[in-house]
Amino acid sequence: MANQTGRGLQAQERLSQVSDHLKASKADIPRGRDALLEKHPDDIVVTCALRTAITKGGKGGFKDTQAADLLHGAFTSLISRSGIDPSLIEDIAVGTVLAPGGGATEFRAAALAAGFPVTSAVKSLNRQCSSGLQACVDIANAIKTGMIDIGIGAGVESMSTQYGPQAVTEFSHLLESHAEAANCKVPMGVLSEKMAKSKKIPRADQDAFAANSFQKAVEAQKKGLFDEEIAPLTVKYTDPKTDEEKTITVSRDDGVRQGITAESLGKIRPAFAKDGSIHAGNASQISDGAAAVLLMKRSTALRLKQPIIGKFVQASVVGVPPLLMGVGPAAAIPVALKKTGLDKDDVDIYEINEAFASQCLYCINELGLDINKVNPKGGAIAFGHPLGCTGARQVSTLLTELRRTGKRVGVTSMCIGTGMGMAAVWVSE
Amino acid sequence: MLDFRTQGYNGYSVKYSPFFDSRIAVASSANFGLVGNGRLYILGLTANGIVAEKWFDTQDSLFDTAWSESHENQILAASGDGSIKLFDIALNEFPIQSWQEHAREVFSVHWNLVAKDTFLSSSWDGTIKIWNPTHPTSLTTLPTHSCTYSAQFSPHAPTVLSAVTSDSHLRIFDLRTPASASNHLTLSIPIHTPPKARPGHAPPVGIPPSEALTHDWNKYRDSVLATAGVDRLIRTFDIRAPGAGPIAVLPGHEYAVRKISWSPHLSDILLSASYDMTCRVWTDGSAMGHGKEDGNMMQQDPMVFGGGREMGRMGRHTEFVTGVDWCLFGAEGWCASCGWDEKVMVWDVRAIMGP
Repeated sequence: MANQTGRGLQAQERLSQVSDHLKASKADIPRGRDALLEKHPDDIVVTCALRTAITKGGKGGFKDTQAADLLHGAFTSLISRSGIDPSLIEDIAVGTVLAPGGGATEFRAAALAAGFPVTSAVKSLNRQCSSGLQACVDIANAIKTGMIDIGIGAGVESMSTQYGPQAVTEFSHLLESHAEAANCKVPMGVLSEKMAKSKKIPRADQDAFAANSFQKAVEAQKKGLFDEEIAPLTVKYTDPKTDEEKTITVSRDDGVRQGITAESLGKIRPAFAKDGSIHAGNASQISDGAAAVLLMKRSTALRLKQPIIGKFVQASVVGVPPLLMGVGPAAAIPVALKKTGLDKDDVDIYEINEAFASQCLYCINELGLDINKVNPKGGAIAFGHPLGCTGARQVSTLLTELRRTGKRVGVTSMCIGTGMGMAAVWVSE
Repeated sequence: MLDFRTQGYNGYSVKYSPFFDSRIAVASSANFGLVGNGRLYILGLTANGIVAEKWFDTQDSLFDTAWSESHENQILAASGDGSIKLFDIALNEFPIQSWQEHAREVFSVHWNLVAKDTFLSSSWDGTIKIWNPTHPTSLTTLPTHSCTYSAQFSPHAPTVLSAVTSDSHLRIFDLRTPASASNHLTLSIPIHTPPKARPGHAPPVGIPPSEALTHDWNKYRDSVLATAGVDRLIRTFDIRAPGAGPIAVLPGHEYAVRKISWSPHLSDILLSASYDMTCRVWTDGSAMGHGKEDGNMMQQDPMVFGGGREMGRMGRHTEFVTGVDWCLFGAEGWCASCGWDEKVMVWDVRAIMGP
């Protein structure tokens, strides 16, 4: 029979056996950060994500460029940069908000002009400010279900050429007479002003947050942190002073302003109410831009020798009251995290769209996020929010920053007009 | 609900006698089975509650027990020192036979319900052994190459047996097959295989392998087995379609499932005991009128598969529940459970079942 030492060892082994039974159960096997970082052949991976520069609406480098041309630019860059054979692309989803008719016709044309064969299908979709993310998620889901093997999620917006009152149809009497339905057409600025007031987000905090966004973006531009994700685009540009048409190459976000401080923002007059807190300096800019993300299964990427830069994990979409549309990320992010089994601290970087400093700040505080993890290169306040583009733009911004800093898990999220929120979990590789 | 305290000994397994509706055996161990003695209790259900009719003390922990199917007084005990002991409850103190072949802890013993002249044992040493009680050495040794927590003869065929192991596999052996290189192994099913994708549903997510701790043959459907273990899921398999993945997946336990047992009365009902300190009763969704999928295909839990559901739970144990067994006699629904809280409870499943 075993001696005393043998007994001790045996007891130790029996104990570790029982604790293994419990450990594995506690770790919630299919979930959690470690499970997320595992690589499986059926993962949906990103092999290329890029965007054009984002330029100021009505003034910036893309002011005379049509949305479809911006998209064309993003497509051609995506093809040349990834080296993918365009005939392998089975579907392209493009998120856009303002284009009449959803942009369906001109985007298909843009894809053909960019070098995709007629066999590559194209659709446009509109989920307001999350359209770009929705496009990526739609493509990822289509790949997951086996409907397609390779696809592109994209987003584009030319607010210079398409922003204006015609973007919303008149409400019928039926809609006007329903209280919550009628709220859907309250302008963003007005409802955000109300929300800032009701959620008690002081102007000083909003200005400090906005100034910080500018400062981060200036710093990132200086260090060249956007260079990798921006595909330069050569376009026609009419000089507003001389009316002379020039050809310029745009490779820089021109909305980023130097020297912005909370104090300098403090002097700007509120835009939506006399005693309000929201103004041009602490809200997202009106901008033009396009972004595209190439998605496929890991097994496909390995077969085609495409470089895998990241993985799409999970997305969530939730509804919130139309008048509180700004709380969207605060509602959507926990759902996406719960679906993936992540804790908020497991996430290394949050890209939360800065529609307004007030709502972004509210969401950060509501979720208790570490503010240093949010928008490390600045956000829409600093370089703009081309509506349909933003969701796809965040993917390249997030994945390049995760890779540069050696971090792994990121979340992109945004609030959505008419009261929704969307969030997605990504892993950098 | 009746209960009995196995003072100083933590329960590991409970079994109703196949001959008497008032007799229960409990295999238990001092110090939670980590080190120290074992004790096999023979309990009687009387008008005055549960009384200990007899007990046998052993040198090492006891992890399982099985009544003889051919002799109403004989009972096996699986010991931590690798031995299997046969006790006669008409005699005192010492076993009438002891077999010492396993190199490590014996985790399960099971008597052949059909042939009744053989029994089997499974062990941490990665083997299953077949024995005849009158024979001093084992008849056959079947390797599994990993810790085998549970092995059983089929209740439908005398030569078919099954085992689940720490390598997340359900193995089926048939002793009629020639003992070639496969050692009678006829099937090896990876338990963690996700269910087959169904139209209209998202494809199932891959689940990593995890230790399987328990399994049981359905008493009515001769090709159906249930397994459960560390990943907290109970799954049922049809061995006629070994590649099809589980035919039902029942999530719900919050910690590893230690023991499952199909009802001897109803073909779709099973009982489970878990480290989460509960016993739960389930339907696997195979019976008419139960667990039909909702018409809108919006199931609450995406892990649920096969239309089964939890029908009730018993939360009276205050420590890990390690054993549970159905009473074969009388009104269907009586069962016994034991656990690390030194409690043996005898209760009626119907009392905890919801609508």
